[in-house]
Amino acid sequence: MAHLLQQLLTDAAARQPKRPAVASDGCLLTYEDLDRLSNKLARTLLRLGVAPGDRVGILTPKSAAAVIAVYGVLKAGACYVPLDPKAPAGRLSHIVQDSGAVVIVADEERSPLAASLSEAIPRPLGVLVVDSPDNAEVAAAAAGESGEPLAEERAIETDLAYILYTSGSTGVPKGVMISHRNSLTFVDWSAEAAGLGELDRVCSPAPLHFDLSVFDIFATCRAAACLSVLPDGATTFPVSIARWLAAERISVWYSVPSALVLLACYGGLQQVDLSALRTVIFAGEVFPPKHLARLMAELPDARYLNWYGPTETNVCTAFEVPAGWADSQPTPIGKACANTEVFAVTSEGQRASGPGEVGELYVRGPALMRGYWGQPAKTSEVLVRDPFRADSGELVYRTGDLVSLEPSGNYAFLGRGDSMVKVRGYRVELGEIEAALYRHPAIQDAVVLPVPDELLGSRLRAVVTPDGAGDLTREQVLEHCRQWLPSYMVPEVVEFREGLPRTSTGKVDRVGLAQERHDAEPVGEV
Amino acid sequence: METVINDYISRELVPDPALLPLSNETPLLETGILDSLGLLRLVVFLEERFAITMDDVDLMPENFVSVNAVCAYLRTREPGMEAAHG
Repeated sequence: MAHLLQQLLTDAAARQPKRPAVASDGCLLTYEDLDRLSNKLARTLLRLGVAPGDRVGILTPKSAAAVIAVYGVLKAGACYVPLDPKAPAGRLSHIVQDSGAVVIVADEERSPLAASLSEAIPRPLGVLVVDSPDNAEVAAAAAGESGEPLAEERAIETDLAYILYTSGSTGVPKGVMISHRNSLTFVDWSAEAAGLGELDRVCSPAPLHFDLSVFDIFATCRAAACLSVLPDGATTFPVSIARWLAAERISVWYSVPSALVLLACYGGLQQVDLSALRTVIFAGEVFPPKHLARLMAELPDARYLNWYGPTETNVCTAFEVPAGWADSQPTPIGKACANTEVFAVTSEGQRASGPGEVGELYVRGPALMRGYWGQPAKTSEVLVRDPFRADSGELVYRTGDLVSLEPSGNYAFLGRGDSMVKVRGYRVELGEIEAALYRHPAIQDAVVLPVPDELLGSRLRAVVTPDGAGDLTREQVLEHCRQWLPSYMVPEVVEFREGLPRTSTGKVDRVGLAQERHDAEPVGEV
Repeated sequence: METVINDYISRELVPDPALLPLSNETPLLETGILDSLGLLRLVVFLEERFAITMDDVDLMPENFVSVNAVCAYLRTREPGMEAAHG
């Protein structure tokens, strides 16, 4: 049994050297290729001076080169930090500095950005450019590195494998630290749950910085199956995605529900042959029941799996949607995954035990994150002593999600107890957007509210009070936001008010603002 | 009709002010102005503004390459649309 993620690759390469490992943009890497090229990359990193436990940024879209980089970093005993190629430079710069990355691996197109980001590093060891696998070979070969396996493992299972940055309520993103053991607990379970085998062709459109990518990068490898990368050009039109899925004979798909809603409604699924698609997995937000029913009617032969879990716990519960699921029922988040326990704690501090009881979901098990990078205080707010086994010394994770227990033993997701919302499956802390707005010199007061949206989870509405001096425009506010926030966090609607409504305790009246009838698209004014 | 659609895309969907002002021939796909989310928002806007229902056969790249392409598509849907909705 593997105890390090990169052993999944060396095992697969030993068992199935000639099987396809990664198909991306017309390029096909076998397991032998992927193993050899990542060995070269690891040796290059070691030559640059990367030491065990160091962080290495990866600034590329998902591609064959990105997968080589992931395994190369792990083989060097380091921990990878995905840098979203679409995020603003300010946010990336913060992540690079906060994580203390020593090297940034980037593709050719982003190497200038990587070079400027590395200026924020106190002792940069370098920027490593990889592009197509050929280039990776050239870059490493130029240094004369061998593709032979490294002599020894440079990590143990409690070492960090990656740090994923998610939205933070105080205005800066926070880094979720995941060890090899944390990740493997999910990977082992998920490969079994999805029934992955070496003939599978697995696709997830999730980028590296989104934790859904852990499934297609590692669980696929555990099964010696093939990871297929959805080409950038195919992602805009649902019809193009459907045609690509058919042409590539994708058998397992994993994404947020909104991508599947678009496929169901606009994918022209009747015109393409998706008979190879046997398992459809979704996670990250609630799948609107009406659209799930439509998808299941369009593709009746596939299995449908609803997975739930914040980045901090990996996936911790799962539910297989039975055929003929009624279209009015929300899909439960299900029961705990293997080697994981979940329980709900009521507002009275009791363990929810009977049907219908509501509580906050807690998770325990080896999949839980190690903590937030460099933030022990924030970590101790969510990783807490087990309330029912305080003497055990074990820490459990408080999700902040409210759930109820169904008679079937499945948990149902009810909502959040705080100001975190989901936009296209991404976690968004409203406080982070508000903090960005407050950085604008002409903004005196700001509040951001979610507007529920069936397709996207939530749309974001900002209510802003200008400081009175100038005339602030919506465009200026949005341009300012884009400097600090990734596109999914930029509010769609900006409203200007002379003052924000307050409750009797002086807090911004979020409930009152949310109840105002609001027309997100002022059609009549166009 | 071109103005209405150009205004909407310029105001709501253009990710980078460097791409403004938007011409009716500016490629919407290669420039990244229309991603999957942007396409969805544009479809919702067109359906509401022009009181039409778009089907999967309408969501083809050729109908969205530029503002002019969107207008050409809309005219095939309903030749009298322009007079009715300006």
